Amino acid sequence: MAASAYPPPPPYYRLYKDFSENPDSCPAPPPPVVGTYNLFGANYTTDDVLPSLEEQGLRQLYPTGPNVDYKKELRSLNRELSFQFLELSDVLVERPSQYARRVEDMGLILRNMHHLLNSLRPHQARATLIHILESQIQRRKKAVADIRRKREEVRQMLQESLSTLDGHMNDMQQDGGMAASLMESNLGGQKNGMKNYGFGAAQTYR
Amino acid sequence: MDIIAQLQDQVNKIAYIAFNTVGSLQRDAPPARLSQNYPEPPAPTAEALATINSDPKSAAVAFMQGVKQFDALVAALPLNDGGEEAQLKKIAELQAENESIGKELQDEMQSAERELKQLRELFHMAADNCLRLKPPS
Repeated sequence: MAASAYPPPPPYYRLYKDFSENPDSCPAPPPPVVGTYNLFGANYTTDDVLPSLEEQGLRQLYPTGPNVDYKKELRSLNRELSFQFLELSDVLVERPSQYARRVEDMGLILRNMHHLLNSLRPHQARATLIHILESQIQRRKKAVADIRRKREEVRQMLQESLSTLDGHMNDMQQDGGMAASLMESNLGGQKNGMKNYGFGAAQTYR
Repeated sequence: MDIIAQLQDQVNKIAYIAFNTVGSLQRDAPPARLSQNYPEPPAPTAEALATINSDPKSAAVAFMQGVKQFDALVAALPLNDGGEEAQLKKIAELQAENESIGKELQDEMQSAERELKQLRELFHMAADNCLRLKPPS
């Protein structure tokens, strides 16, 4: 038995033989993955949540809770960082062997600042969505107003055309002759068409 | 670049200045006497003194400028629109309004297309009449 150089495709295609006639006879696609999944030996998750500082093994320096005053906490951490930098400079002069604690404190403050800034990203995403929705509503309102204005302009132009046609026909009838009767038979149909389509009367919009 | 990315860059810049300042000071500092059992270390040369004295001042100025810029960026953060609940409520309201204005726009478009079709028929009728109408001799 000869071995093939390339493996055959999976035999699932046979299940979709009658898809065009009866889509329900074929297996439905698998549902989207929810939760954690394993891909090439690594674990991933569909829940994209910012891990807390405790989960990363770090101490949180600002208060927890849903109503965190981000500006106040960022300014406070900024001042604390400047103070720690001065402390480090002082320690390097007076007690150089104790620099490690100060460097670790500065690193902890910087990580807290970054975590606080990362916590602002969902808020930024919601604000961006609000801005997009507002601009889309503005564009749609403008489009509606433009369409209504154009329709009104068209109606006015047709009104004027109708009155012009009426004027021409009256003039020709007064002058008399075959041309008048010919024009009346041709243009009369056109005038009736305009009136039948509703362009001769004022229309009110909802 | 959005303001949060600017803030993150500023934090990185402050960290860079702080730790590099301390690192270069440690690297360029003259040897210190650690114990009485050791002899007094030699005095630093004029060149070494010039290097040590010039860099810390500019580094300190850069550090403080970075800190002040961070404060200014924090003050510019647009966080006055309430918390998560207020934002989600606003999004729901805007979505409902968007749906209704979208429906209104669709209705207007359909009416406009109907009128456009009628106008085209009228125009064809007018063109046919013009072709049939003979000029007066």
